[in-house]
Amino acid sequence: MKHHSILRIITKLLIPLILLFALYVQFHGDFGPGGGFQAGVIFAAGLILYALVFGLDTASEVIKEWVLMILVPLGVLIYAGVGVASLILGGNFLDYNVLAHDPVHGQHLGILLVELGVGVTVAAGLTTIFFAFAGRGRRNPEGALITKAANPTQEPQR
Amino acid sequence: MMFEVAAVALFPAMFLALARAIAGPTVYDRVLAVNTFGTFTVLMIAVLGFMTDQKDFIDIALAYALINFIGTIAVLKFFAVGDFGYQQESKK
Repeated sequence: MKHHSILRIITKLLIPLILLFALYVQFHGDFGPGGGFQAGVIFAAGLILYALVFGLDTASEVIKEWVLMILVPLGVLIYAGVGVASLILGGNFLDYNVLAHDPVHGQHLGILLVELGVGVTVAAGLTTIFFAFAGRGRRNPEGALITKAANPTQEPQR
Repeated sequence: MMFEVAAVALFPAMFLALARAIAGPTVYDRVLAVNTFGTFTVLMIAVLGFMTDQKDFIDIALAYALINFIGTIAVLKFFAVGDFGYQQESKK
């Protein structure tokens, strides 16, 4: 028997819209309020809502922790990679003008990539922080989450 | 003129919600009052955006509504089970 049917259905309806709104904030940041950090926070809020309503075990099956551990440095790598790429192409660090033949296009491309890196890092980082808080007392000595599916008899300690 | 009236009319409602959040005898009264206050804040942001003709405020109001909803769920879950990672028994 599953409880909280209304909450589950509303959450299932709402999460795609939250993720879509996060992408809107990410890619519309040139023209309105928004940007990488805000989009990452909203994206992480969607994932955290899923983990809150459906539980940590289900959420850690959907959002694998090793994927998060890759995504956090990947965003920083994108950010720094754009800077190094502009260095190699003959400009200063994070000098977007040299990224394309036209400086205006270079600015567009550079801002887009840098904000993408910020968004990926922030979304993965905030989700990792939530997992770290919610997973307290549920980890084995190696740091992996103890799920009820793996150990049905072992009740996680509060 | 219409938006100014709406903004002023929101203040007593927000004050009443805040009073219930402070006075509320149980934690559920307080959670409901804070949620209501957040909804009024969304309305206030929208009204202020239309008043000053800045359509970008709608985006901020949307984000605030989402965060308000998720925060309420988190607080309720924390007071219900005392654990953010609690997993219900899955259906057999």
